[in-house]
Amino acid sequence: MSAEGSASAPAGRHAIGISFGNSNSSIAITSGDDKAEVIANEDGDRQIPSILSYVDGEEYNGQQAKQQLIRNSGNTVAYFRDFLGQEFKSIDPTHCHASAHPQEHEGTIAFTIQDKEGDEKSTVTVSEVATRHFRRLKQSASDFSGKEVTSAVITIPTNFSEKQKDALIKAAADAGIEVLQLIHEPIAALLAYDARPESKVSDKNVVVVDLGGTRSDVAVIASRGGMYTILATAHDYEFAGVHLDKVLQDHFSKEFIKWNSIDPRENARSLAKLKLEAEATKRALSIGTNANFSVESLAEGIDFSSTINRLRYETIARKVFDGFNRLVEGVVKKAGLDVLDIDEVILSGGTSHTPKIASNFQAIFPDSTTVLAPSTTATAVNPSELQARGAALQASLIQEFESEDIEQSTHPAVTTVKHLSKAIGVLSISGDGAKGVFSPIITAETAVPARRTVHVAAPKEGGDVLIKIVEGGSHIKVTKPEPKAKENGTKDDSDDSDEDSDDEPEEQREKVWKTGSVLAEAAVKGTKKGSKIEVMVNVAQDLAVTITAREVGAKGGVKGNLTAP
Amino acid sequence: MASHAQVTLPLPILPEGWTGEKDFKAIGNLSAATQRSIEPVGPHFLAHARRARHKRTFSEDDR
Ligand SMILES: Nc1ncnc2c1ncn2[C@@H]1O[C@H](COP(=O)(O)OP(=O)(O)OP(=O)(O)O)[C@@H](O)[C@H]1O
Ligand SMILES: [Mg+2]
Repeated sequence: MSAEGSASAPAGRHAIGISFGNSNSSIAITSGDDKAEVIANEDGDRQIPSILSYVDGEEYNGQQAKQQLIRNSGNTVAYFRDFLGQEFKSIDPTHCHASAHPQEHEGTIAFTIQDKEGDEKSTVTVSEVATRHFRRLKQSASDFSGKEVTSAVITIPTNFSEKQKDALIKAAADAGIEVLQLIHEPIAALLAYDARPESKVSDKNVVVVDLGGTRSDVAVIASRGGMYTILATAHDYEFAGVHLDKVLQDHFSKEFIKWNSIDPRENARSLAKLKLEAEATKRALSIGTNANFSVESLAEGIDFSSTINRLRYETIARKVFDGFNRLVEGVVKKAGLDVLDIDEVILSGGTSHTPKIASNFQAIFPDSTTVLAPSTTATAVNPSELQARGAALQASLIQEFESEDIEQSTHPAVTTVKHLSKAIGVLSISGDGAKGVFSPIITAETAVPARRTVHVAAPKEGGDVLIKIVEGGSHIKVTKPEPKAKENGTKDDSDDSDEDSDDEPEEQREKVWKTGSVLAEAAVKGTKKGSKIEVMVNVAQDLAVTITAREVGAKGGVKGNLTAP
Repeated sequence: MASHAQVTLPLPILPEGWTGEKDFKAIGNLSAATQRSIEPVGPHFLAHARRARHKRTFSEDDR
């Protein structure tokens, strides 16, 4: 994994976290107290457009390069990340229509641009473009910290191929960045949340929804004691940030046509201006309930200025929002789970700032699910910063390691492990008596070895108690309430309409545990009144189980083993 | 993981005549497991990798 030419000894390393998207990149560092922060480049931007542009041989990057899309689009390279390590025939060049076009070149992909003084054009491979972009990121991070950055953890989508990974590592190495590790984007986002001091290590199912500029990626993750297993992923290129821009472009174009009978989408420069302003208006609508759209000399020298309110935007953008909903619902199913099984939804990526998207997810998931987005949770982390932060945290964890140690730890021999197919739990009795109620101790999809402890109440009066350890599975119970009899004189007849408001009572869905096979029984004798029993289950790598049980605060207790199956 | 999960519903009383060697009775084994990949990221994974590479158990690791 170490990069030739820039391999640095752990002692001399200075590592950062980099998120590198088709639309934006960001760089993050950790400070002394292990807190990650995203840093601004020399223009003051924390979201640095992944764009390079050349004017008279001078290189522009980030926001400055993005502005060049209006006047100098042919010498501006944008949306290139996903082209790395790909063959020309397998890429989608759609997003490069209004900038330098990707072309086939010696088995790879290149752009023909005028990147030097004079009129001569050069053919620059995508690898070289990425390297130049990484040089700029490295420079910004080095300038900020006053010390040369040598190494980085970089985030990648979950569907990056080995070729794409290799190409990314090479492009970074050529820029003098040793790639310590490539980590998956949704995992970086989850780590950024879990590393907060107020977060507790727990067992939870998490959906990370990463809504970017040109793609939307979702992952369902089993998070168990701070270890992460991806259960399912989905990727979508039809519904993403640029499609929301398009909705606004079309909206304002129509308005412009109404007044001027000119379609600004038919002229390349007008279209570029439209796009940039539409994006700015869209961002403004994430904060305000009204936003301006104004462009000087939009087409044929005519200035244009208008406004839109959030409600209108949400109406015209509904198709795109519905696409996000379907993507999320689909991936939960693909993971074999129900929305009731999801504890947390993390919104990541720039588009996740949009309030309506977060509230749509709140409607899809039950109240018990926490939706972490700026508009739904006051303490949410900026969705645009999650990945870079997570990468920086990982960088600080491993920067002292020798490259071979990192390689060994990330080897499939270490990462491929058995995961429990069923939950392991203990049976309690419910209020009304004989029937056992399953309470999980270790949930399904937990990687082994694993160890968990619970405290279970003993009967009020104390005495000898039975600890019955069983396997369990959960399913969703759907109850349709009895349709209300029409005749009964209702009190709420004052409802302003008698449309089908309540002839279809909402069905109740709940997650219920079903007790499976019994694993073991144990007795704890002579417990005191009102005491608690501590039950510990330890599953070894070979699925052998050790169970211990004792009264909390008392000595001794029971211990027993189950052999490996 | 200092605080443990709490179960408030009480355990049953030990049935009359229940016996077990040293108060423990092994009855079954775990169901077959699924092979999956854990993501090599985060402090808890690093602890796992350390244990795996040195073939240590949790309690050895605690010491
Ligand atoms: N405050 C905001 N409100 C709404 N949308 C926003 C906001 N900030 C950024 N965006 C949008 O987020 C998208 C960029 O997201 P992000 O920075 O995550 O990109 P990326 O991961 O590089 O994208 P890609 O999907 O192209 O790889 C753009 O469409 C941008 O307009
Ligand atoms: Mg992204």
